[in-house]
Amino acid sequence: MSKEKLYQERLQRYITAMECGKPDKVPIAFSVGEWAVKYTGSTLEEVYYNLDKSIEITCEVVQDLDFDIFGGGPTLWWPPMFDAMGSKLYKFPGIHLEENSQFQYMEEEYMKPEDYDDFIANPTEWLATKYLPRISEEFARPGSYRATVALIKSAAAYAIASNVMAKGWEKWTKEHGVVPSTSGFTKAPFDTLGDTLRGMKGILLDIRRRPEKVLAACEAIIPHNIAYAMIGARGDTTLPCKATLHRGAYPFLSMEHWEKFYWPSLKAVIEGLWAQGKRMYFFAEGNWTPYLEKIAELPDKSIVFIIDTTDAKKAKEILGGKFCLWGGVPTTLLTYGTPAQVKDCVKQAIDELACDGGFVLAPGGAVMSDAKRENIFAMIEAGREYGVY
Amino acid sequence: MAENKEKTFVPEAGTCVPWKVKREELGEIPGNEEIVKKEWEKLEAFAYAFIWFWVQR
Repeated sequence: MSKEKLYQERLQRYITAMECGKPDKVPIAFSVGEWAVKYTGSTLEEVYYNLDKSIEITCEVVQDLDFDIFGGGPTLWWPPMFDAMGSKLYKFPGIHLEENSQFQYMEEEYMKPEDYDDFIANPTEWLATKYLPRISEEFARPGSYRATVALIKSAAAYAIASNVMAKGWEKWTKEHGVVPSTSGFTKAPFDTLGDTLRGMKGILLDIRRRPEKVLAACEAIIPHNIAYAMIGARGDTTLPCKATLHRGAYPFLSMEHWEKFYWPSLKAVIEGLWAQGKRMYFFAEGNWTPYLEKIAELPDKSIVFIIDTTDAKKAKEILGGKFCLWGGVPTTLLTYGTPAQVKDCVKQAIDELACDGGFVLAPGGAVMSDAKRENIFAMIEAGREYGVY
Repeated sequence: MAENKEKTFVPEAGTCVPWKVKREELGEIPGNEEIVKKEWEKLEAFAYAFIWFWVQR
């Protein structure tokens, strides 16, 4: 079969599952992740910095595994873009960490409580003029020679990395026939505010000390998280937009706080995207079991719900038939389990979750670098063995 | 651009300096506006994505 035909077959399988239908086989999804670095004998520093190498080693892995939907290679970002700005947000192997360390996020209150009003009034201007200098050592004094050069270099790096990765995706799809899992990226407004702006400590104090500011900021972020998703997807509406949902897992917030601060603005982003025909890849990292009834209020088929440690049976009972469910294999099992245990897990997941369609077999979260090679092969082989309708 | 022509505005989501703002500042333009506008808006989207990238990790 030609790769083009294979691609179209897999794409149709994925689309049918997202529409809650029953394809010919249960689609299998996989992200190569940092696990591939060990698999191919490279270092994390090489793979992060050398995008061509990252794309090549991803090809080596993809050609060995028979899955349909592909979440991408091991490189999330190109560190030179951050190095150019002297970014304080991350530490990468190379300049700050030894060559096989995973990147680290350096959480701080980069936005102060007194910044709320200016941010709410004009978020894009505030980010460009206040936030970027604060998170960037090289861009700390806008207008200076160093800052001007830093901005030129970092924007150029952003364009370079986008182009190289676009060519990588073209290679993966054309030469290996795998279908991208998502197009575009966004977040819950509460996460945009809580992750990089106020930080965990800041946002948790804010919901008690200045709740009206948190709500107003989330409201201000909604249209931006819709626009950012559609720009990143270049207008594509075939594939869902990825949203990694960080602070929404239970029990980061109490039910009362989740319903008041987290859910309304996330729901508005989902509805805004769906009004444009764009689904959300609802990456429910952690446990979302207490929120399933609220999530069920979303428009039918507007999300693909990723089951990480959420109760899978309850997810099927409450969300099944409304939304495509995704997952079934805990990432911890891929690291600590045996191939036989993985195979049993896949069989159970398909029996319980895939019976009437609308299901994608996949690891429930990011496959970590210590996942066992034999377990990954066992997951995919079992998926093909049991996943025939 | 002369500084006294710079407008104060709040850019809509997806834009940084929207074409409608720039268009007012430019005044009369002798060429085909649509060609210029289309390319301006492509770069707008790129710049907007670059700015928001830093909070959308």
